[in-house]
Amino acid sequence: MSGDLARLLNALGLIAIALLLLLAFIDQLWFGELPCPLCILQRMAFIAAGFGLALNLIFGSKPSHYGLMILGATAGAAIALRQIVLHIVPGTGAYGEPILGLHLYTWSFVFFALIIIGSALMLLGDRQFARVEPLPKRLKPLPLFALSLFLALVVGNVISTLALCGLGNCPDEPQGYLLLQDYFGSNITP
Amino acid sequence: MMSLPFLLFACGLGAAWLRQRAVAMGFWAAGVVVMLVLFRIHASSVVNIAL
Repeated sequence: MSGDLARLLNALGLIAIALLLLLAFIDQLWFGELPCPLCILQRMAFIAAGFGLALNLIFGSKPSHYGLMILGATAGAAIALRQIVLHIVPGTGAYGEPILGLHLYTWSFVFFALIIIGSALMLLGDRQFARVEPLPKRLKPLPLFALSLFLALVVGNVISTLALCGLGNCPDEPQGYLLLQDYFGSNITP
Repeated sequence: MMSLPFLLFACGLGAAWLRQRAVAMGFWAAGVVVMLVLFRIHASSVVNIAL
């Protein structure tokens, strides 16, 4: 696999992860499903995994960047699995509405597994690591778009989580935006 | 507290954009450690299932 093909796949992968984070935001802001603490932790893990792709786009492909992806996705899969197990027994309820038959945390687990498999497959392409010429300082449009979208969603999660949980830990079943309640003294719910 | 890992990842991406790879990876590692600590805090109850 050539370095250019690897960069294209990395950019597309980062856009895919950014779209997952965007869908989570749409679910939160449009449909009013506030994320639980484990849901927020899964968002973090998607960002931890996407971080490796971002480093690949900026510094060029390196095995260590794929290592970051695998570690982040493994942590995310463990968090998602914990949430699946919490609700796996029939009658123990679920968090949120299912989409295409699966709950968001189950989809998360599937996507974390796909990230791990994808990273392993990318690691098989040795030629991408043999780049001799330095990377251009200026990013091409697609990697620049992917990185900008990803960074915007990371910053969006900082603001959203701060508004939702304030400076402490998030409640297990959030009912509104705690920081806004503290600041404005009213119960602001989606 | 829950927003701290996001903030660390954002700082890491900023460092990467400024071509500071080691700093970026340091922020990533700090973010993951805080994330795992938060997971430990939020996954404290025992789940009653037989595996």
